[in-house]
This record gives sequence, structure tokens and C-alpha cells, in this order.
Amino acid sequence: MNVLTGERLFEPFMDPVDGVVCLPAETNAAGVDKQAAPAGWRFPLWLDHGLPLRDQVRSSSHAPASSRFGPYGDNITGMNWLRPDGKTVRVGERVVKSTTGYDLLRFLLESGERYGRPLDYVLRLRPLCDTSCVWHLRGERASLSRAALAVLHSSWIHWLESFDGIVDGQTSSLRAAAHCPSEEVETFEGYLAGMAEEHGLEIEASASAVFPAVGLPDFVLKTTVDRAFQTAFDLSANPGVQCVALCSNGVVLGYVADPGSILELLQPLETDLHAQGGDWRSRHGTDRIAASPESGWIATLGKEWKAAI
Amino acid sequence: MWQAMIPPTSAVVAALHRAAPESRVMTSPAQMAGYASDGLGYKSFRPDLVVIPSNADELAQVIGVLHMAGVPICLRGGGTSLSGGPVAAQGGAIVHTSKLRAIREISQDGLWCEVESGVNLRQLDDALQPSGLCYPPDPSSGPVCTIGGNVASNAGGAHCFRYGVTSNYVLGLEVVLLDGSTHRFGGPAGGNGPWLEDWKRLLIGSEGTLGAFTRFWLRLTPRPEKLWAFRATYPDLQSAERAIHGLVRHPAFPVAIELMDPRAVALVETSSMAVGLPKDHFLIVTEIDGPAALVDLRVESVAEVLRSAGSADVLFSDKAEDRDNLFKARKAIGGLLGQVSQDFLVQDAVIPKRALANVLQLIYDEADRAGIPAVTVMHAGDGNLHPNFLFDSRVPQELKKVEGISKRLIQRVVEVGGALSGEHGIGNDKSAYMPWVFGPESLRMQLAVPQAFNPRHQFNPMKVFQERRFAA
Repeated sequence: MNVLTGERLFEPFMDPVDGVVCLPAETNAAGVDKQAAPAGWRFPLWLDHGLPLRDQVRSSSHAPASSRFGPYGDNITGMNWLRPDGKTVRVGERVVKSTTGYDLLRFLLESGERYGRPLDYVLRLRPLCDTSCVWHLRGERASLSRAALAVLHSSWIHWLESFDGIVDGQTSSLRAAAHCPSEEVETFEGYLAGMAEEHGLEIEASASAVFPAVGLPDFVLKTTVDRAFQTAFDLSANPGVQCVALCSNGVVLGYVADPGSILELLQPLETDLHAQGGDWRSRHGTDRIAASPESGWIATLGKEWKAAI
Repeated sequence: MWQAMIPPTSAVVAALHRAAPESRVMTSPAQMAGYASDGLGYKSFRPDLVVIPSNADELAQVIGVLHMAGVPICLRGGGTSLSGGPVAAQGGAIVHTSKLRAIREISQDGLWCEVESGVNLRQLDDALQPSGLCYPPDPSSGPVCTIGGNVASNAGGAHCFRYGVTSNYVLGLEVVLLDGSTHRFGGPAGGNGPWLEDWKRLLIGSEGTLGAFTRFWLRLTPRPEKLWAFRATYPDLQSAERAIHGLVRHPAFPVAIELMDPRAVALVETSSMAVGLPKDHFLIVTEIDGPAALVDLRVESVAEVLRSAGSADVLFSDKAEDRDNLFKARKAIGGLLGQVSQDFLVQDAVIPKRALANVLQLIYDEADRAGIPAVTVMHAGDGNLHPNFLFDSRVPQELKKVEGISKRLIQRVVEVGGALSGEHGIGNDKSAYMPWVFGPESLRMQLAVPQAFNPRHQFNPMKVFQERRFAA
């Protein structure tokens, strides 16, 4: 790294004190674990443990563990970014907090690689505990919705690793996960069992479970937190559609049998979504193009960032 | 001082009165003096006029008039910035958002609220109390600073180690651009809305250089059911650093990890804010929160982390009064510095925590050598340093000494891989250091952003990047 002169880039590193690691963007969960776990750290935001992290960030801004830790943009603190003209620039920091210039990091992470692509990520890691647990709560949809709202309004929501509504055709459930010291498992279970009883739900636990990963979604829909579960219900009423509602993020991850049906499925929702400041995107593409004045802003950035817009 | 070529103020004032008849326009020297500086009181830039728009519509009209008149435009909220942000560094107009104070909606089910940009944090917290919800960012200036200023500088505070900073809570914003057009990016759902790109990411933390915020949609979160506050004293920096390292990786994920050096503790304890802190030691204040059943389980193990790092004096309490006293003492530092010193300069660098003792020692060595008192507090969980250098700008050479210390500190920060600012922003205080962190290509990418929104740098010129000068 050229300090104080010239272009700075991130070099690969693992900082066991701060819990940050710099790795190629193509690294998968095993690759991150290999660096992080021996030092007592982990990176929790995985949609698929086998695929490169870059594919996951490109397909969705959120993963199940975003319930506790926020979107990818809050857990990737920096990156080496390859511009279309072949030059690599550093974006962001290796420290977890910065307000130093414009936040290109989050903008580029959300831009679908319109202006280049990431070569390396700096990841914010989290303490590794000895136990992961997953609980499924099952019952009537109305009861599940009420239970979801109650959990979202309790201070437990900060401590559940993920809290998702799983909706698949006629069946639906709430899935809660915790990653914690083993002595705390009973406390989590006690809370969730009480919640299940209060709302007439059945609860099933799987201790020491592998942390939930749901695969790359075919589409991602962003709405308000109080609408996410219902939106997942509505969408999954269509044949061949399964949804995972990340309840505390207001995000619906959608899985479809036929990606060609996505436009037809989601376009009718657009007006209402946009009024709420929501949106949808798909790794299979959308038919959206920028209108003025956005097209002008994109063109300016593209020109200055040497991107072929 | 650089001055833009602006038309006669009287003509601009008349145009403003016509376009925004309900708004207040001020030009007298005495009125301008009140807007000449921010929290960095020793740097003064007197504006040519101050406008207080009566509402968002008139604010848009005001921006349109100032734009057409070729007047530099600087937005200002509470004026508590510590980086020289909301000041008219190139002359021109200050647009004060003090009339945009409405909390428009609180959605209990949706966990969001809609507020105007001039709402301050205490006002918001008071309004949220009955709902059991909270907005977590908590800069020390909370009673007076505005949400608009917080978003402009991406403010943080003591509790952002776990809860995050302002950018983690902005779901949407409404902004007036230079031509007076109003746009909304995001909203209660926090997505892009009809836009292809997530433009709010560039606007948050943009320090007033891209547009004028009028309102925000903010994410809310349940208030914690229970809190435990801890304090521990350490005889030296090394043992305090060990405690910080231990807390950062503890599964209880403390909400806040704050460090006060012995000089900061002494400052509090010799003031009316004294709460009985042990002097002559480094002090760590930390806090855990969550459901009572969970957080009570964790108390002893957190205390053990503090003890095993070398503290013989670890106290903890779940009483609100004890906790409030600790954090009041911590947050009082800024105000107390203003009482004991004519001027002070506070830095805001963020460093990797392994470099904590190294960088703090540099601060003490440099300050002691120059005869400049230094008082350091730190959001230690984030590595966010706040060394405060006390001086008297009326004494020749003192400011120069302080700026020299700051320069060497920032050099060290960059060498160890840190960032110039964690939560105060760059303003005009740290813009000279930006070439140290942005090489030519990165700088070009940064400057492309105002190129898209504010190409002549009419909004808040001479801030963030020194290249940003307005030429009418």
C-alpha cells in the first residue's frame, strides 16, 4: 500500500483484533471460515455456503442473518474495485466506521456491477460461538403473522440471528435462528416456546443446526417490515413460487420455477411498492431503464468512472 | 478567505422575498455573527445573508433563487458540527432549517418514522417514548443537533458500536437539488423506489455538498428491555486496550465501549458534572442490553473480561440512574472543554484497534512537547478517537501548533490503515488530508459525484475536497 502518495489498495489480511478480513470477492463460506474461525470470528451473511460471496452480493442486498447484522453494505467495509478501463481502485475502509468522502462503497455494492466489479472485499466479522440453533414455528397464517409482529417489537429481535417467514404454496412457518454460547440456548428456546404457546403455534427445534442458507433468490423485493410476510403469502399463492420473508428487513426473497414469469408476477406490484420507497430486482434481469434526470446522473458517473453505460 | 463573485445582496434579498414570502431573510452584521462558525468556534466565516425557510416548499424556492443568482449555498441545522461543515466558507447564503421541525408520522407496526430535517434528536426521542421504539444514533449534541445535520455528516455516537450510525437508519430522504427540483429517494421501505440506483447512499454523509434535505424516513427499533452499565479503571493504556479487545469479541456484543483518558476523567470530576469517577486512571464505560432473561446471564462474563484485562475496580449496575450518570459524564466532555479553554480542536479519526496505544501515545507525546493540553475520549469499540487539543487562538502560534499536531496524528492514522473521520465529517477542517487517502483515480471517482449533482460546487463549496470551489 502506498501510504500518503498515489493509489492505495487493500492487500489480503486477517486482523484478529478488529475482526476484519480482506479476501477475494470470489471466496465462498469455507474460504472465509478458513481465515476467520481459527481466530474466533465468522462472517454470517450467506445465502449459499458454496457459491462465491460476489454472486450473493450481486443477487441480493440481504441474507437471512441481515436480521441481526443488516445488509451486505453494513458488513462489507471496503473493496478493491476493478473499473471497466482495467484500473483498480480502493473503495471504503478497513475500519468499521467512516464518513470520509462520498459513500461509493454502498452505492457500488447496490449498483449491480454497472460500473465495474469487486476484486476483493474487506469483511466485518462477528464473534464465533459454539452453538447454532434453528426453531420452526408452525400454525395458522394469521397466528404466524401476529407472532412475527410481536417478535419484531421485542428486544429479542436484536439477538435472533435470523427471523424469517418461510412460505411455500400452502405451507408456511416462521424460522428463528440463534448463534450463541451453549449456555444461552435454553433461554432462547424458553422465549420462543412462550411465543408459540401465546399464539397457538407448534415449535420444533434443531440444535447445532447448520445456519440457514436459502440459495440465491430469483428475485428480491423490498417493502416495509409490516408488509413483508403478507407479501410473501400473496406471491406464493402463485404456482411455482416460494418465498422467504426476512421479517425485520422488510425483504422478500423469491424462488420461482420459471424465471420468465418474474416480470408478470412483480410488475403489478410496482406502483404500490414505489409509493412506499420499495423496489424489486432479479438476477435474471429486469426491463427497467433510467429516465431523466437519473439517466443523466448515471451517464456522468459512467463517464467519470470509465464505465460503459 | 475565498469569496465568490455574487450579485448585490439587496437584489438577492428582494428576489427571496418575492419567491418565499413566509421565509425570514437576515443580513445585518449582528445576525450574521451568529452563523459565522460551528462547534469549531475559532474558525469564522461570516455569511452574506441567512434565510430561514418557513417550510419545505419555500426552501425549494429559496434554493432556486440562490442558484439563479449565483450565490454559494450552505445548509445549516443545529450548527453543532465539529468539522467546519455548516459555515459559509466562500461567503454567500446560509439556509437554516430550524422551521422544518415536524415529526410527520410514526409507524408503530412498520417500525419507521417520517421527520423533517430540522427535527432534533431529543425532540424525536421524546416523541418515540410512548411507542416503546427508539432511533439509536446518539451523538453527544443530541439535545440540539438536527436529523438533517446528522444525515449530512453520517453522525454516530456512543452506542453505534452495535446499533450502527445514521446511514444504517435512513430508509429514505427528500432532497432539493440545485435547480430547485425536489426528489424523493427511498421511503418507509428503504429501497430505491422508482429509481434504478440507490442515490440516497451518495447523499447520506455528503455534508451538504449535493442538495438540501427536507425530510427523512428513519428506521426505528424496539427499546431494549434491560441494560447493564459497567465501568472499569485501568492504570495504563495497554491494559485498557486489552479490555477493549476482549469486549469487542464478547458474544454479548456490547452496545457501547467508551474510553476516557485520565485527563478527561479529571475534567469531569473537577466540574459540576462529577459523578465520583476514580481519577488518574483510564476509564472504560461499556453497556450491554437486550431481553432481561438473556442480558442478566451475560453480566458476570462481561465483568470478567474487564477484570482479566487488569482492572481491580469493576463496577456494574442495572439502575437507570447509575447508567445515566456514567453516560452524562462521558457526553459532558465537549461542553466542559468549552468552559475550560478558549478554543479546542477535536479530531475524529478511526484506527484499527491494535494501534490504539501506539496512536494515543503519539497524541500525548506531540501535545506535551508542544505544551498543548490534550484530552482524549474514544468510541473504543469502533476505534473512533476524539483527542481534543485545548488552545487559545488569540495567542500567536498556538493554532499553528495544534494544526501541526493534527497533521502528524492524521499521518499516523493513515499509516496504520485508519480513516480520517468516523462521524464528524471532513468539512473544511480535514479536507487538506483527503489526498492522503484518495489517490488520483479514487479522487476522480469521488469528485464525479458532485459532478453529477452540483457540478459548479454551489452547494457548500470548499468542504470535503479542497478542489470544490464555486466560480459563479
